[in-house]
Amino acid sequence: MTYPILKGETMEFNLKIAGEAGHGLLTIELGITEILARTGYHFFATKNYMSRIRGGHNFHMIRIADEAVHALRGDLWDMLLAFDEESERRHRDTLNPDGILVGRQDMQELKQTLQGKVSEPMAVNTALIGMVLAAIGFEPEFLGQAGLQKNRQAMIEEGFRLAEKKGFLKKHPIEHVSKRFLHFDGNQALALGAILGGCQFMAAYPMTPATSIMNYFANAAQDLPIHFEQAEDEIAAVNMALGASYAGLRAMTASSGGGFDLMTEGLSLAGMTETPLVIMVSQRPGPSTGLPTRTEQGDLNMLIHAGHGEFPRMIFAPGTITEAIEIARNAFELADELQCPILILTDQYLADSVQQLEWQVPVSVNQRVCQPREESYRRYAMTGNGISPLTYPGIGRALIRVDSDEHDEDGRITEDLDLRNRMVEKRMGRWKIMPPLSKKPTFQGDPGAEWVVLSWGSNRQIVEEAIREINKERPFVAALHFSQVFPLFPEMVSEWGLAGKKLVCLENNADGQFAGLLRRDLGLNITCTLLKYNGECFTVQEVCDRILDITEEKS
Amino acid sequence: MSAQPYDIAWCPGCGNFGIRIALEEALHELAIPAQQIVLTSGIGQGAKMPQYLETNYFNGLHGRSVPLAVGIKLARPDLTVIAVSGDGCIYGEGGNHFLHTIRKNLDITILITNNQVYGLTKGQSSPTTDLSVKNPLTPDGNPNAPLHPLSLALVMGAPFVARGFAREKDHLKEVIMEAIRFRGTAVVDILQPCVTFNKINTYQWYGDRVYQVKPTTDPLEAIRIAEFWEDRIAIGVLFRDETRPTRTPRNLFTRRTTQKDIETLLKRYHD
Repeated sequence: MTYPILKGETMEFNLKIAGEAGHGLLTIELGITEILARTGYHFFATKNYMSRIRGGHNFHMIRIADEAVHALRGDLWDMLLAFDEESERRHRDTLNPDGILVGRQDMQELKQTLQGKVSEPMAVNTALIGMVLAAIGFEPEFLGQAGLQKNRQAMIEEGFRLAEKKGFLKKHPIEHVSKRFLHFDGNQALALGAILGGCQFMAAYPMTPATSIMNYFANAAQDLPIHFEQAEDEIAAVNMALGASYAGLRAMTASSGGGFDLMTEGLSLAGMTETPLVIMVSQRPGPSTGLPTRTEQGDLNMLIHAGHGEFPRMIFAPGTITEAIEIARNAFELADELQCPILILTDQYLADSVQQLEWQVPVSVNQRVCQPREESYRRYAMTGNGISPLTYPGIGRALIRVDSDEHDEDGRITEDLDLRNRMVEKRMGRWKIMPPLSKKPTFQGDPGAEWVVLSWGSNRQIVEEAIREINKERPFVAALHFSQVFPLFPEMVSEWGLAGKKLVCLENNADGQFAGLLRRDLGLNITCTLLKYNGECFTVQEVCDRILDITEEKS
Repeated sequence: MSAQPYDIAWCPGCGNFGIRIALEEALHELAIPAQQIVLTSGIGQGAKMPQYLETNYFNGLHGRSVPLAVGIKLARPDLTVIAVSGDGCIYGEGGNHFLHTIRKNLDITILITNNQVYGLTKGQSSPTTDLSVKNPLTPDGNPNAPLHPLSLALVMGAPFVARGFAREKDHLKEVIMEAIRFRGTAVVDILQPCVTFNKINTYQWYGDRVYQVKPTTDPLEAIRIAEFWEDRIAIGVLFRDETRPTRTPRNLFTRRTTQKDIETLLKRYHD
């Protein structure tokens, strides 16, 4: 059943922009969010699009509020820009009774009004931006702060006039805070985090929804001491990254699940050769090609088990933009410290959601330590904890020998089976180093709450908002979010007394993969799972409804 | 660089012994410090080569010696990077990398120890096995026509294409030296008799056919010469073209991202 969300004092405005690919929906989204970001409005934007370049049916959603928002609300919409008949038909019923519909007819009118006034082909779309801003009571004089081109500003002002004529000027007023926030989508945050972590090399093969990580690197590489290489396939990408890491640069690759499948032998090579490597996997619904432009959390089990043989790894899944930056940044420290693969799992939802950062980005860049070594250097020298010192070719007298075969301390092939035992134990010793380096989950709510909703990765802020809403009536639900999803150590959760609570595990997949892991590795008794696997993200409304249904049913 | 008493895992008489000596002597004569050289290899008998030389090496996965070499060269253009592996590894499992790496034209050397058979897995047909040759997994005779690696490299635009013969060590050494000195991707296919599994293409068989050639700058002429096989086989540098643009990566190892760089990114993409 549907439970009403308590709106409280917060004012918000939910906008949907719907049409075909090629109508310029993204340009409108970016135009609006750019102005909002520069003039101190809080917003959250995400999109639902088909795997095609032209046509089809796509929609972009922007939530504007007078306080920070980091999820889709999921109830009725306050304004709909509908570019075609299908968009009107599909979305008209989701409009608030006092919502604003700007449909095909309005757009025709707009076109006629603008005819002759401006030559720019994007005139209508730019005027639509003005109409949206007019609806939230944006004062035209603030436009100056947005640093827009003159005739772009003129068209936006035209939109204001049209909104006034249509009678919805200031219909849904939103307060702004006059503070400029930086804005990121999830993939930009990961890419920036990697650069902050000292990553100077990325090789990758394009695949939605990981491609925007590559775009960021390729653009940054034009000015920064960073190299981006478009590889012929994902197998080459992971091997190039390993070559670059061996040669001395912090290196990474990225893909979606299908591309990562191809990298798994390379992952095993990183494990065997103890070569630091970071891989980012941006999930989309599978199996196989699946739904290329939609979201899912279906690759967790694959990442835990990827690669033949036994070798340690850590897997992180950021839940916020801040976490994405911090986790990506720290991944390169961990990769060098542990000399094993560090994997970061994200998904289309986080990748394509534009959010504001209420946090000061640290601008100092971490760097790899490069210490020359003597002739006596042995790449796989036995040490107390299994981690041998790293060095790189050509910077000292050392020779660096690295082998995918089982090897001796020098890195030469061996079939000495006693040595094999010691080498396995050396590699596996990393599991023992990991607990103090692990990232604890984030608890939200009353520690005494009867119910706890467990989640991981991109669902963090959706669940957190839903819990806040539910607890306004009766505070009985808390949330625990994991951004380190593997390995899980009991000390990560010991302080929350989960054994005595009813636990709901929420995730975007059909199998309850994380719930399974919590049972297996932490021995938790999961009361039930809350799953979604149609390719769309959860909304706050939906999570509220489903949690209330579950808790009523199981109480 | 002196020979060490390694426990060499090749069969007695293997063509790889001659190739190892030629490569070792070439590196010695070029006087490149061992620390500045990185050999990459995949899996197979030829891929064991770096184990028996005193340089840096990364012995990686089957088929992936070339992308490893690409990653190393892109990160560290100051290093001398040589991929060395067999025909199964570079032309078969890693065929896609062979094609696309030639397009990049980085300053790397690719040495292929080509014995026209899979040695390590015991005698199966390789990408360069002749049509109708009987091998364990093709008992009725190899149904696949052989790959012509040098013609393929030439069609892909490789600027330096050569062939050597394991028994003619001095000539091979000269070819390898020229390949390493060449600024661009140098492909050297090396005829390597497999004394255990290839009873057709023996030292004698190759010896009766090889003759030395000088390089041309005409790719079509080079392909014509590269295609001689049944009666005579050309060895030496077949094609050499210094006019093809070589990719020269920046040396990133000596430069690190700064705070100012980050501020630029924040301003440009996030403000």
